[in-house]
Amino acid sequence: MKLPPYPILEPNLGAPLDIHRATVLPEWIDWNGHMNVGFYVVAFDKATDTLCQQFGVGWEYTRDKIGMTFVLEAHVTYDREVKEGDPLRITTQILDHDAKRVHYIHAMYHATEGYLAATNELMLMNIDYATRRSAPWPDWAMERLGKLAAAHKGLPVPKQAGRLIGIKKK
Amino acid sequence: MSVVLTYELPPLVTTAPLDIHRSTVKPEWVDWNGHMNVAYYVMAFDQASGAFMRNMGLGRPYVDNKLGMTFVLEMHITYDREVRGGAPLLFKTQLLDCDAKRVHLFHEMYHADEGYLAATNETIVMNIDYATRKSGPFPAQAAERLAKVWEVHRAMPKNPKSGRLMGLKKK
Repeated sequence: MKLPPYPILEPNLGAPLDIHRATVLPEWIDWNGHMNVGFYVVAFDKATDTLCQQFGVGWEYTRDKIGMTFVLEAHVTYDREVKEGDPLRITTQILDHDAKRVHYIHAMYHATEGYLAATNELMLMNIDYATRRSAPWPDWAMERLGKLAAAHKGLPVPKQAGRLIGIKKK
Repeated sequence: MSVVLTYELPPLVTTAPLDIHRSTVKPEWVDWNGHMNVAYYVMAFDQASGAFMRNMGLGRPYVDNKLGMTFVLEMHITYDREVRGGAPLLFKTQLLDCDAKRVHLFHEMYHADEGYLAATNETIVMNIDYATRKSGPFPAQAAERLAKVWEVHRAMPKNPKSGRLMGLKKK
């Protein structure tokens, strides 16, 4: 099997993946006194970096000019406010994947109070560094992605996945 | 009793779609892939939602005067094409639906010079009572302005990128 020129992790097969932690930074707060909608996505994007590390396509993948990963589509539900200094715990569940994409959902919790603050469903695609076009995952990534997806297969699909946006009329 | 907006309201724009927001990709919005990072598309779209709320009369003075706030409940983003640092952005906004306390918006982000579609953002924004931090009806003056926008926008065809579900289409 082709391996990358940098060390890669053995994937963590806990389901869901529960290793990403963060803290709400002062500059993430807006004039409403809570984390701004854009910074929820900043926090979620860092959890995506943690996920990508698991299958060997993290920062080094781009630094070594092998490839990149681009988000094609995202859905965010804002479930509850978080304030400056709040500790965050982000879990990640793989919903589906194919030769060049992965479909997954993050859930952000207040790490000490335990409540759900937001979710982020994403479609991520592998990109060839030279052509900047979509391309199949490298062997090492596909193998690890398969292991992670198998570990997550038995999880129930969260109700926030596959949502349509609309104003529900009573 | 409805909240009274005590500050001066801007002239109302009712074109369909609304074309009232411009922006530029800031250097700090660019990530290690050399393009605007996914989160900053959301930041840019949030400012376009801010422009919509300002047009309703619910801009920053609404919060500064402790009358109310507007919170985003949900959003769906499609990333259609890359934009680089310094790129000028133009936004078009369609009101897809509304009720007494929520608006359902659809924003398109274009490269302002080259004209291509860079991304779309469908979102629901809710009115919040300042004191209770719970949802509440829009102030009457804002509701009246919203009705005027809705009158023009309700006839527009829905953008085919609205109402999307995410998934891998299997061949």
